[in-house]
Amino acid sequence: MVAVGLQATASLPISIRSITKRYGAFTALDAVDLEVDSGEFLTLLGPSGSGKTTLLMVLAGFIRPESGTVLFGERDVSLAPPHKRDVGMVFQNYALFPHMSVAGNVAYPLKLRSIPKAEVGRRVREALELVQLGTLGERRIDQLSGGQRQRVALARAIVFEPRILLMDEPLSALDKKLREEMQIEVRNLHRRLGLTTVYVTHDQREALTMSDRVAVIDGGRVRQIGRPRDIYERPDSRFIAEFIGESQFLPVVLRDGAAWLDSHRLAVERPPPTAQGAHLLVVRPEKLTVLPAADSGHGLNLFEGTVKEVVYQGESSLVYVSLAGGLELSVRRPSRGADAVPVAPGAPIRMGLAPADVVIVPAELHP
Amino acid sequence: MTVSTGGSANLGAYRVAERRERWLLQSLVVPGLALIGLIALAPIGWLFWMSVQGSSGFTLDHYQRLLDESYLRTLKTTFELSILVTVLSIALGYPLAYLISQARPRLAALLMLLVLFPVWTSLLVRCYAWLVLLQRRGVVNSWLQDMGIIDAPLKLMHNFTGTTIGMLHIMLPFMILPLYASMRSIDRDYMRAAANLGASPVRAFWQVFVPLSLPGLFAGIIIVFVLCLGFYVTPALLGGGRVYMWSMQIERNVTYYADWGAASALGVVLLALTLGILWAVGRLIGFDRIVGGK
Amino acid sequence: MARTIRSAVSISVAALLLGAPAAMAQDKKVLTISSWGGAFQKAQKEAWFAIVEKELNVTIKEDNTSGIADVRTQVASGKPTWDLTTQGAYSCKLLEKEGRLEKFDDQTMKALADIPTALGRSDQCAPQIVYSVAIGWRDKAYPGKEPPGWAAFWDVKNFPGQRSVRKHPIYALEMALIADGVPMDKLYPLDVDRAFKKLEELKPHVLVWWASGAQSAQVIKDGEVDMVAAWNGRIQALESEPEGKGGKIKTTFNQQILVSDHWMIPKGAANKDLAMKAIAIMSRPEVNARISNYINYAPSNSKSYDTGVIAKEKEAGLPNSPANAKKGFIQDNQWWVDNADAMVKRFDAFLQR
Repeated sequence: MVAVGLQATASLPISIRSITKRYGAFTALDAVDLEVDSGEFLTLLGPSGSGKTTLLMVLAGFIRPESGTVLFGERDVSLAPPHKRDVGMVFQNYALFPHMSVAGNVAYPLKLRSIPKAEVGRRVREALELVQLGTLGERRIDQLSGGQRQRVALARAIVFEPRILLMDEPLSALDKKLREEMQIEVRNLHRRLGLTTVYVTHDQREALTMSDRVAVIDGGRVRQIGRPRDIYERPDSRFIAEFIGESQFLPVVLRDGAAWLDSHRLAVERPPPTAQGAHLLVVRPEKLTVLPAADSGHGLNLFEGTVKEVVYQGESSLVYVSLAGGLELSVRRPSRGADAVPVAPGAPIRMGLAPADVVIVPAELHP
Repeated sequence: MTVSTGGSANLGAYRVAERRERWLLQSLVVPGLALIGLIALAPIGWLFWMSVQGSSGFTLDHYQRLLDESYLRTLKTTFELSILVTVLSIALGYPLAYLISQARPRLAALLMLLVLFPVWTSLLVRCYAWLVLLQRRGVVNSWLQDMGIIDAPLKLMHNFTGTTIGMLHIMLPFMILPLYASMRSIDRDYMRAAANLGASPVRAFWQVFVPLSLPGLFAGIIIVFVLCLGFYVTPALLGGGRVYMWSMQIERNVTYYADWGAASALGVVLLALTLGILWAVGRLIGFDRIVGGK
Repeated sequence: MARTIRSAVSISVAALLLGAPAAMAQDKKVLTISSWGGAFQKAQKEAWFAIVEKELNVTIKEDNTSGIADVRTQVASGKPTWDLTTQGAYSCKLLEKEGRLEKFDDQTMKALADIPTALGRSDQCAPQIVYSVAIGWRDKAYPGKEPPGWAAFWDVKNFPGQRSVRKHPIYALEMALIADGVPMDKLYPLDVDRAFKKLEELKPHVLVWWASGAQSAQVIKDGEVDMVAAWNGRIQALESEPEGKGGKIKTTFNQQILVSDHWMIPKGAANKDLAMKAIAIMSRPEVNARISNYINYAPSNSKSYDTGVIAKEKEAGLPNSPANAKKGFIQDNQWWVDNADAMVKRFDAFLQR
């Protein structure tokens, strides 16, 4: 690894307390509370218009909320202007200054801080090396590729050793392959520098790949916050289940401490919610297993039906199944080993869902 | 047309068709080129030719005469006035363009209308309006005297000052328009990025906003300066007869002396100076940036 | 019936399209005359053109000129569109020198006999009206005091205030020399050095070097200046207008510089014979005199004042009336034709210094 001077400086936790922002009748942020731990990589994930970018702008100081408090560590920055917040930021379009060279862009925050010339040079070099652009310092911005610009923006955002880094959909302008490479790189950089990072994206895969925790935002509120695995495996609302990953819903009824699908009592690992009445069973296609005729499927929740269609998608196939009572389910089967249990349209099929994979959410979108 | 069936023989036919299409498309510009050549280039060529024609063929007399003291003085006045008006139009136009570029759309449209309004008014009307306002017994002087602020009327008209004011008023929109266009195209994120990196609003303005608005500024400077160099009406009306511009010398040579040669030489010199300035500015900052390239 | 109407319609449509007056249909000759436009040309039309049209049975087509350059361009083209044009005396002399004018025939010369040669009359230039460069002043500035002459124009002690002079040496040099004590009949050839030296004295007091007649009137009317050296017609016209900020404006003919506008025929004019006949008609005393009844310009023919066409009270306001003419002098056009180039250059340098 390259020896660099940029050290994992003491990063700061962020406390967002009851932040509200309205635009006329539209509520962009509705009393948002959020704690970001020191050194944590937190992603704000949500559809467009959810308020995720607004929240990031509040953190950067570009948008003044109507009420609420923002703390960086112990410091209340609610009223601090942007240039006094000392947070790094990577903009969606990078906002690299076209009238400065690559090195000029990276040096700019250092010059603003009256850092001696020699040190500026050293730190710019180090920052550029860190993002693997060591040789491009004299280039003009318009001579760079999209990926290179992204790296310069990153170098500029961290060169002045801020304790917090904000990133606003920084990879959305890149093509898929480059984007995936950069995801890993940003993640590694975060590990190395240990900066408290708030990352905004609408790409759930990106969120799941990069984050320590993901906060899913919709309608100006944090709907669920947790580790990527929890968010994916244990959505606590229909919205989260729908928004993240592929989900299908089967109606269930909660009664007497058990979940009933028609007259079948679902086998569960964790006890279902204590609420009563109509709920939904969340079934992700890859959680279902197609059972061979010989397998009794003991201990699994079983679904029987007729194969409607099989769609080959390369690494897996998606099998559409008609259940009794007009319901439908689809099941994802890995291409490898699929021959063991052949399926064909019109043939009967039996699928099992492990008790551990049973997720039950309230029927409303947002409980 | 016969269709060739022999595989590669098609290639030649395609090329012919392609070439014909290209020629056809390029021929569309012929009328435009011809018109430009006729109404723009031909007179300039004629100008050059006349400027070196004497009673007995080729001569440089007309140019030699320009070394006369009164012409050199006129040249100096022309440049002084043009530079002054350009500088003042930056001083007034830049803040105004900035204000308009930052205003909300409806207010910006209203302000822009106010800026453009004078452009739709006759040049003469505007000059006379200034005369009414600023002359010795004009509105402004009467008002200042009635208020007891001044004893004797200020000499605001019939001199260099009056000419400067009048020309500034006429030139201001030509400074503001390119500046405004340039400022509007500056992404708000640049200023946010500067603030985020630690620049106070004032520093962000000078270190980021101003450099990014330079293409518009240079365009404005060139337009205003070049227009000023050839100005006639305003200095003639508001200068009290004292402000001699290059264009007036041209007019004088034509109407009083019928000296087309001398007038042409004056025109050629003005054209050469203008082109020289454009060239120098182009070398300095890249012409494509001014005309709206990268 | 329907046919007649249709053909009548088509004729009038054709007439409209051609922009031709109905009279053209009657095969009348067309005489094209250019002049300064505005009130002056309107006066020419009513005083003179109407009579010419009737006597010669021609149609007069009018056009405007902005000066000598027009004539030069037209003659250079070989086919001038004008048969007759009005230009200043000096311009006429210049065009004559350049050989751009037609010579009058004997009959025309005979018709011009009563026009003073001093006005610049020649076999190519026919003086048509006389006006003068006179002193106009704001009555309020010098109540009850009439400037006796150009010396007063220079005398900022007894006549304090701002001045306005034409931005051209053509009257300024004569004014300066008279102010410096040269008698009006001993001016030419002008002592140029002396004139410029005297002008240097006046320079700080000249607020506006006027470039057009309209401007000369505007600066005195608005009270921008207190005394102006301008064409008499321009200042006198202010007397009949509502007063401006400058208050009442007065004029004096003391030491006035008399100048004239001339008729001339551009070389190669299509109807030069008709044009000469027109000049002869307009130069007849009783016709020539008519102009003063329409505008504040004086007739060029000395006998005009004997015709009774001009009312006595009108006569007092005309610069070359028997009473007024002797207060001033007639400018020597020839001297200016020979010296104008050098003088303009020197004057430009003088103003720019």
